Amino acid sequence: MLEIRELSAEIEGVQVLRRATLSLEEGATVALIGRNGAGKTSLLRAIMGFMTVTGGAISFDGKPLDTVKAHERPRLGIGYAPEDRRLFSTFTIEENIRLPAEVMKLGEAEIARRLERIYAVLPELADLRQRPAAGLSGGQGKMAALARALMVGSRVILLDEPFQGLAPVLANRYAAALRALRDSHPDIALLITESNPSLLRNFAAKAYAIERGEVSETQLAESSLAAAGLH
Amino acid sequence: MLLLAALDGLAYGSLIFLVAVGLSLIFGVLGIVNVAHGSFYAIGAYVAAAAVLALGAAGLPTWLAFPALLLAAALVGILVGGLVEIALLRRVYGKEEVLQLIVTFAVFMILEDAQKVVFGVQPYFANAPMNWLGTVEVFGIFYTTYQLILMPLVAAAVLLGLRFFLRRTSFGRAIVAVTQDREAATAMGIDATRVYLITFIIGAFLAALGGALASATTSLTPGIGAGTLVLSFAVAATAGLGRIEGAAVAALLIGLGRSAAVYFAPEFDVLIPYLIMMLVLLVRPQGLFSTVQTRKV
Repeated sequence: MLEIRELSAEIEGVQVLRRATLSLEEGATVALIGRNGAGKTSLLRAIMGFMTVTGGAISFDGKPLDTVKAHERPRLGIGYAPEDRRLFSTFTIEENIRLPAEVMKLGEAEIARRLERIYAVLPELADLRQRPAAGLSGGQGKMAALARALMVGSRVILLDEPFQGLAPVLANRYAAALRALRDSHPDIALLITESNPSLLRNFAAKAYAIERGEVSETQLAESSLAAAGLH
Repeated sequence: MLLLAALDGLAYGSLIFLVAVGLSLIFGVLGIVNVAHGSFYAIGAYVAAAAVLALGAAGLPTWLAFPALLLAAALVGILVGGLVEIALLRRVYGKEEVLQLIVTFAVFMILEDAQKVVFGVQPYFANAPMNWLGTVEVFGIFYTTYQLILMPLVAAAVLLGLRFFLRRTSFGRAIVAVTQDREAATAMGIDATRVYLITFIIGAFLAALGGALASATTSLTPGIGAGTLVLSFAVAATAGLGRIEGAAVAALLIGLGRSAAVYFAPEFDVLIPYLIMMLVLLVRPQGLFSTVQTRKV
């Protein structure tokens, strides 16, 4: 469904992706493992249209994405939870989650239906819905960012280092939420980046390692630790 | 005399609020200090005056002048503001601030001369709308209804309208989202390019509206844009750039301060707004209403 072929990209003249190739099938859970600065965030940002691509191509449902403007990509059903949450701090949690749906001009009934499904997966957010996003803890913020990505991500959800900075208890809670999402939305493809592969071992069926912008297929076993340079 | 100074200050503060809030909005969203803002004010004033004079010459009823003022401001905002954003500003977002300043300053210089070519250097005077509304009596002082009631009403409507627009409408929320984080907003499906254009047009419209309203109260000569620009910078800086409610308070403060100076210490008339700004910035360098950004953890 989402195919990345030989993608190269740079930031201010520095090459950050080198002929990266990766594919994501419908309903798959795929891990992208690499240490800080390896190019994980760049790859996700390239999918969302925020990178200067210098070679290669990304296609979605067989159609090239390079002619689709960044702000039109969420409409294809691609949800994105960036690193550091990046919630809008002056909005409440629910306003944050609703925003992409309002932008797409979904009807109130459809928004309510989607919210209900999201709160079913992430029940703790239902109690926080009227709280301003600025006052959230790290774990709650990650959940809200996931919920916001779910609002439009009916096909693919890109999660950038969702476990980063979470205390073990919260990380477990977040992993449980992801499993609940997996069960309730089996058709959605998940692409999850992480620097610590052991966190994803229980759920990703397929894994890629990224190092200095180069992507290779790997296993989420001991060998992947070596591939990602983590022992 | 104190009362007269207060009334003057209210009228004057309303006017510079309109200009300053547009400046502040543009800076808050686009991150651009728009020197060309003074030109939008001046062109708004000239186009409005020309429209009012044309209505008068055609023998049409004077009340038509009021929609004409609004229309003139909207036209200037959309055409001149839109053109400047699309043709020039779009190329300098995210570049060095000096470059952005030079571009908007160049636009200001070009528009100042364009005004002279189109409207000439003779003073324009179109006070029919002000005379038509007559005067009101406040504690024994007669004051024009236009300046004492209409102008503050328009300013209050703009303040409330902007607040409502930014907080309660979906496009307003998109503007706020882009202001906080352009990339995250784009990832939510918001077309940031369009948000920038419309925000700039709204800002330019507000400056032109200030000019259109002012056109009935004073005679228009080349250079009115520069004076108002500098004053609205003082207001925006005092409030903290990007603060809408703050701009209203700062405009009133500076408006009252200036008109008090006109009556009690005329030699300081020009100086007072900057003295107020300086005092405020000495105590609160981030402006009256800006809060220090809390660290994002």
